Amino acid sequence: MTDKGSKVICPSCGAENLPGTLFCVQCGTYLPSGGPLRTEPLVEQAERRKEAGGKGDGDTAGKALSIEAEIINTGRKVLLSAEWEILAGRLDAAHGIFPELDMTADGGLEHGVSRRHARIYTRDGACFVEDLDSTNGTFLNNERLTSYLPFRFRNGDVLMLGTLQVKIHIYTGGN
Amino acid sequence: MTKLDPQKDYYAILELTPEADTETLKRAYRELARRHHPDSGSGDVEAFRLVQEAYDVLRDTALRRAYDRQRGRRGRDAEGPINWTMTLSRETLPALATQQMLYALVEIVSTAKETAGRQPLNLALVVDRSNSMRGIRMENVKLAALDLLDYLEPGDRLAMIAFNDRAEVLIPSTLASDKRNLRSPITSLVAGGGTEIYQGLLAGIEQVRRFGNAHKVNHVILLTDGRTYGDEERSLQEVQRATTSGIGVSAMGIGEDWNDFFLDNLAQRGGGISSYIQSPSQIRQMLRDHLQGLGSLLARDLKFVTNLTDYVQVQAVHRVLPHMEHLGTPQHNTIAVGRLEADQPIALLLDLLVEHNEVGRRRLARFELEGMLLKGDKPLRLRHDLEVTFAHSPQESPVPPRILNHLSRLSVYRLQERAWLALESGDAKQATSLLNVAATRLFDMGYRDLAQAALLEAGRMAQGAAPSSGGRKKLRYGTRALSIPTHTEPAQTEGVEHDR
Repeated sequence: MTDKGSKVICPSCGAENLPGTLFCVQCGTYLPSGGPLRTEPLVEQAERRKEAGGKGDGDTAGKALSIEAEIINTGRKVLLSAEWEILAGRLDAAHGIFPELDMTADGGLEHGVSRRHARIYTRDGACFVEDLDSTNGTFLNNERLTSYLPFRFRNGDVLMLGTLQVKIHIYTGGN
Repeated sequence: MTKLDPQKDYYAILELTPEADTETLKRAYRELARRHHPDSGSGDVEAFRLVQEAYDVLRDTALRRAYDRQRGRRGRDAEGPINWTMTLSRETLPALATQQMLYALVEIVSTAKETAGRQPLNLALVVDRSNSMRGIRMENVKLAALDLLDYLEPGDRLAMIAFNDRAEVLIPSTLASDKRNLRSPITSLVAGGGTEIYQGLLAGIEQVRRFGNAHKVNHVILLTDGRTYGDEERSLQEVQRATTSGIGVSAMGIGEDWNDFFLDNLAQRGGGISSYIQSPSQIRQMLRDHLQGLGSLLARDLKFVTNLTDYVQVQAVHRVLPHMEHLGTPQHNTIAVGRLEADQPIALLLDLLVEHNEVGRRRLARFELEGMLLKGDKPLRLRHDLEVTFAHSPQESPVPPRILNHLSRLSVYRLQERAWLALESGDAKQATSLLNVAATRLFDMGYRDLAQAALLEAGRMAQGAAPSSGGRKKLRYGTRALSIPTHTEPAQTEGVEHDR
């Protein structure tokens, strides 16, 4: 408890920051002690946010899409809200890259996943993936995608980022 | 035959709720029809037509049911075209006897699926005609103004004011259908004299006010390339007054000699935007983009209101979208946010200082968003309670990436803003070091141009020279635009995708 209450010392400039600070107030360096170095919301968290969304009067109404990414080689499943654009890649704090779908822990580097590899978003209820000129390419059902061109994908499709396979499940509605 | 347009909010037009009964409906219609009737003093043909259309649909039970059904399909929240969400850096905080930091990202978006037809524009273009505008700048302004005429629709209005030491109304507010009369004064514009912004602004606001009404986008656009002396305070006050009567003000600075802090302040108070036009050839594009934004305006006069409990203080409020800007200081509990355009979400980032040492769920604050919806001139009021859970040793959970992305860019913007402040208070050493740090971060993030500019300015300061005004503008307007992590920007991918 005393430990949690102590100030966060910036590794770069030595400035003291209040607990919970994410970027040093003095020099703007990312303070990893503000939390573990991964960015994805836990599944339970995403669920909770969905619940909370129902009762807040200013919150999202109507059909919320969520996308579940299943990384095949590790079996890890990540539930993502499709309310906002999803960046798929590898976290790199110094470069200011914080992907919603962070594949560092799945051997992303070894599998040739770029830091900013692809983006996933929805338009009018349809899901699209767009390669961000990644080094090793994005594949949709084994077909390489032209960079910066959005391609529509459907429930059950398999995306390949570099050589990392990701199966996509799409869920509609709050139920 | 009555046509039915589910895009239009008939209830709002008649200033009613969807529950209104036939009697109330009839009364509201009579009242509004009288107010807007073209023969009455405050007559407005367009408003009158809308009221008539709304009434024709709603008084017919079958039509009304069909309309309600179609509206309902567009989402549960059919009465509000605007929605907001709040994301926190942490949902669960340790119960501490000391202060801790909590970040809240507030996002304000349009929920309308399609943009309904655009609102009529009621504009004044206030153009600097001082000596320094002579030549290519003035020619480009003229081209941009003529270009603007093509964009305007018959129901729009345009006035044009040229100013140097005094203001001249080149074109009094005129309907855009009268294009011939608008064209010739623009082409004959010549430059000469000094720069006194106040006179020009005043005349521009006056022209817009003359034909202003709540259903139009009432806006003044100032184009200048110089500094104004001694009338800054008066200008700001005038803009403030205009805002309260529903008139917005934007400012565009051309070249490098204008006062960026003054124009930013002006636009902030005016609920508009300020932009930096580096080269005269950009004037046209910038003006066109701006017009497009104004055309899709959904709400004006947005205010973010904070009602805080004793457990929390607001340390800073920054806008992070559409561009970065420092909005509020702790002592203000009402922060002007400006206007919301349909395709341009607004995001705010709040630095909150939390202090509470008891376990449990607590409400820290109640936030409200107030404003005026353009459609139907209806007030907007959204509310959100900020609640968190305090625990003894909560499990650390990851921070939502959206917050990290915004914060990492905002931290760079703040570094360089602090550098200019430090310089202003005479601390060149501090300013130099801040700019050097900003340069490092910019290099890391792959923004080489901006990093270079920061280094250059830091170098100048280290030698005791004043910053170049061009460099400062490039940095300020460049870093504030970093807020949008554009995935297509080549500089980004170039700097970053060097793995493998």
